[in-house]
This record gives sequence, C-alpha cells and structure tokens, in this order.
Amino acid sequence: MKKYIIYILSILSSYATAQTTNEQKYLLTSASNTLGYSIIDFIDPYLSPLTYSGSGIGYDFQSQRFLSVENTRISKFQKLSLLAGKAFNPPHTASMSFFGTNYGWGVRYHLKPMSKLRVQLGGLWDIDFMFKYLARNVNNPVNVDLGTNLNAFGSATYDILLFRKEMKLKLDMKSPVLGCMFVPYSGASYYEMFGLGNLDNIVHFSSLHNKRGLDANLMLEIPLRRSLWRVGLGYETMKWSANDLVFKRNNLSIKVASVFDFAIFAGRKKRAPSNFISPNE
Amino acid sequence: MRKYSQIILFVAFLLPSCMNEPIVEPNTNMGNFESLWRIIDTKYCYLDYKKINWDSIHTAYKAKVTEKADATAFFDLMGTMLGELKDGHVNLYSDFDRTRYWKWYTDYPSNFNLDLIRSARYLGDNYKIANGLSYQKIDKGRVGYIYLGSFSYGFNDANIVSAMTYFKDCKGLIIDVRDNSGGSLDYSKQLASCFFKEDKVTGYIKHKIGNGHTDFSKALEVKTPANKNIQYQRPVVVLTNRMSYSATNDFVNRMKQAPNALIVGDKTGGGGGLPLSSEIPNGWMLRFSSSPMYDSNMQEIEWGIDPDVLVSLSPFDEGNGIDTIIERAIKLIK
Repeated sequence: MKKYIIYILSILSSYATAQTTNEQKYLLTSASNTLGYSIIDFIDPYLSPLTYSGSGIGYDFQSQRFLSVENTRISKFQKLSLLAGKAFNPPHTASMSFFGTNYGWGVRYHLKPMSKLRVQLGGLWDIDFMFKYLARNVNNPVNVDLGTNLNAFGSATYDILLFRKEMKLKLDMKSPVLGCMFVPYSGASYYEMFGLGNLDNIVHFSSLHNKRGLDANLMLEIPLRRSLWRVGLGYETMKWSANDLVFKRNNLSIKVASVFDFAIFAGRKKRAPSNFISPNE
Repeated sequence: MRKYSQIILFVAFLLPSCMNEPIVEPNTNMGNFESLWRIIDTKYCYLDYKKINWDSIHTAYKAKVTEKADATAFFDLMGTMLGELKDGHVNLYSDFDRTRYWKWYTDYPSNFNLDLIRSARYLGDNYKIANGLSYQKIDKGRVGYIYLGSFSYGFNDANIVSAMTYFKDCKGLIIDVRDNSGGSLDYSKQLASCFFKEDKVTGYIKHKIGNGHTDFSKALEVKTPANKNIQYQRPVVVLTNRMSYSATNDFVNRMKQAPNALIVGDKTGGGGGLPLSSEIPNGWMLRFSSSPMYDSNMQEIEWGIDPDVLVSLSPFDEGNGIDTIIERAIKLIK
C-alpha cells in the first residue's frame, strides 16, 4: 500500500538527498532567499573616467533540484539576483543610480571526494543586466551593462561541528568563459544608436581575452530551531573591455539567506496528503 | 610539465595586459589639467576641422598651472583654455561656476527684441500657448506666427495640429526660432517633419571611434520623416539669428530642405556637434562636442547656417515697434 510521504518544510537540509527506504521517492527542490548589503565600485568610462563607489541592497533567489530520483549525481538550478543602489564619484560631486538583475540557469555534477566534503562542478548560462544613470551627463546620462555568458561553476561544502551543532561551510564560485555583450563607442550617443538606429559594433563576442571575473560566496549554513540559515560574504569582481573602453565592477556584500525545501503538489496526480492545507483554494 | 607552466604563465601575463584601465590623474591642479586636456584631445570632434594645435595649447597652459592656484583661479585658467575651442557646446561645470564661450552670438547683432514680439502688433496679450509653442495670427489674420523660444520645452503633434487648425485661413506660416539656443533633437525633428511630404535625408552624423583626431565612424544619414498626421503645404518662413544654436541649428538645417520653406534673418550660431559629458578628478563636469553633424551636402554646420534671405533688425523699425525680419517674412509669404 502506497502512502504519500512528501513533506515540505523549512527544517530540512538544503540538499535533496535520496531516501534509503523502499517507499516512493519524491524530489524536493532546495531553495534560498538571500538578502545582502553591498559595497560596490564601478568604472564605466562611457559615463565617466572616475571610479564610482557606493552601496546597495541585493536580493537573490536560488533553487536546485536533481534531474530524477534515479540520478542524484546531476542537478539543475536557477538563480535570480537583483541589486539596486547609489554610488558617488571620489569628490562626491555627482551620483550614479544603478539597478541590476541577473538570471542564470545551469547544471551541476555532484561529487563526494571525502566523507565530510561534497563538491559540485558544472556550467551556468546567465543574462546580466545593469542600468546606470548619471543624471548630470548631457546626451550620455545612461549606460547599460548587458551581456549573456556561459560560466564555469564550482562549489564545495564541508560539514563542521560548531557549538555542538552540525553546520556547513559552503564556497561557490562562477566565472564567465564566453558569451556576448553590449558595449557602445564612447563617442556614440544613445540618440545616434537608438534614435537614428546606428547599432554598428555595439555587440561584441566576449571570452577570457576581453571579459574576466569571479563571483564567489563563502557562507556558513546554520540550523536554528526549525529553520535553516546561511550567513556569509559575497565577492564579485568583473572586468570587460571593448571599443577601447575598460569597464570594471567590484562588489563586496554581506549576505543572510533563509533555506527551505519544497515539493510541488498542485497539478500532480498524486495529491498532497489531506493534512496539508494549501492556501491556494 | 615545464612547458605547460610556461604556457600558463604566458597566458596569465597576456590576459591582464589586454585590458589596461585608463590612467586616472591625481586630484591636483596638474592632474586635473592633464585629465581635462586628454579628454578634449581624445574625444572632442572639431580639433582638426578648426585647425587647433591642441599640443601647443598643452605646452602653453601647462606652464601656467601651479598647485598654489586656488580653485577659482584654476577654474578660470581652464575656462580660458577651453575658450580656445571656440565652441558654445564646451563647458566646465564646478560647484561655483560654469565656463562658457558665448562669442558665437555676443560678437554679432542680436536681431531680436522680445518686447517687439510681445507687442500688440505680433503676439499681443491674447496669444495662445500649446506647451512650448506660443502662437498668434498676425498681419490682420493673414499670416500665422509661432514663437518657439526653446527646443527643451516639449510639444506634441496635437499641439501642432491645434496651431495649424487655428491658422487654416492664413496664407502662410512664420516659425520664429530666434534666441532659441537649442534643446532636444527629437523636438527639432518632430516640428520639421510637419513640412515634409516624404522622408528625406537632411543631414549626416559621425561619432568618434578612437582617440585620434580623425578617428570617426562612417557618416550616418539623418532623415527627416514626413509627419503622418500633419502636412503643412503652404509657405513657411523660419526666422533665425545668431542665437539660434544647437538643436535649433539642426531644425534650420532640416527646414532648408523642406519644399515650401525659406530661412530668413541672420546666420545661425551653429553648434553642430552633439555634446557628451565627462569629468575630471576633482569632480568638475566637462561638456564637449563629440559627434559632428553635417548638412545634406556633407558640409559642416558647426559655424552656423546661412539664411536664404539675409535680413537685419533695423534700429529705426525697432524704435517704431516694427520687427524688420517678421515684416520681411510677411512680404515673402504674400
């Protein structure tokens, strides 16, 4: 007799490990919501030759799920990031507002080289967009970082015992390998590009020769009562170049994440047990 | 193994060298001078056209830069250096002042008197205002008159339709853009489009693609499209003076190609280079001409556009409450 045994809830670990019983297995999706405070530096020579420094607030949503119950070596994951803030030139005579978003989708291969160490290696395709607004500029008040990349990805998780609690130290890194990006000429106004339609040489192939960077996060995963949290640091450094312009972005952030696992019952043949009450009535 | 190490070392050396960040000068008077000089040297579009020896200017002004000079004295010195470019689109903005070059109109007769325009003979007290357009019937209702003081004040097709409808019984139209020092190129194109029956190439534009003084992109056609909602077919006269500058210069350049249009008054002030902005280490902002614009014959319009009919404001007429240029336009329409 089969029974439904899937239960969602925030007390589970972030990894969807396979059950070892003979009962029906269900895949959980492990997800996290992350809030961060960032200290950020920009060099955008289309807007200014000076380095703009400031701060911003960021939000990330990540989810990860194994491809199938039979194969718990490969997982797919996706990530959505938002970042907004304000930066100033060194003498504080001008400010730049920025808003960025990044969406990525990837696949990871899971390895366990040691009893307490787990490693994931894979690739990630992402679309990166950042809107920068320097109000006092004439005819070039805006620039957009727009690009899509294939990234190499790697992460390591190590189990540690701290304060008599089982915690996990997680390090993940990604780096762009190839893609394409939007970079205008420094002398081309948006009027000419989008008003007159002169889009010559604004889209560039990118690879390690003209775009390099690293996006890394070091997080400590801590179980607290019936919830699971991560705290840590993120560091992103990115440098890219085209049309004789060199752009740079450094972002150091403090992050706090809430981790939870969930399964989707809605629309499935096997309904959720009756003791699960959905607000979606 | 050694071979692979050498390759890795070579690649590690090569990759960073591909992306050298630009030199940022220190925030000193000399550093700010060098930074300002370099921005103009690499990004300003008219150094060759105006036959300016920018290297000589570097030598001459570097000798005058001292660290002892206070911000005002240094600012004035930089303003004088930028004045060598003879360009109304070049300004240095600080917290306390803005450098400017205004000789493109101060060295010439103004050919404009706002009090005359506002007198009962022309706009009067009961003229109509539709966003940026001020309009009235003049010459006993036989001629429509629009005064447009800036292309920064927005207007839309509905505003233009309102004015045209009001002028439906008039023999022609005067558009007065004297003392209009520019604004948005989009508004310039929008207004000009009402006087074209079909899309027409009315100019060209280039932009810098490198740091050399002659590193420009290919010329891109600038078209004035025929407005789909408004087609004014009667005679139109555009009034200009030396203070018709920048986007107004662009409007006049477009109207030169309009089938029923005449340009009347004085030569425009010019301002053919689309300006962009940058800044120097002390945070002062620099505006400079970056993209040169041309007429339909690929001739520069930086120094202004000649009218079809050259007319000056007569002091005698002015004393009698008459605007000589408007009166000449009325006669041309009749």
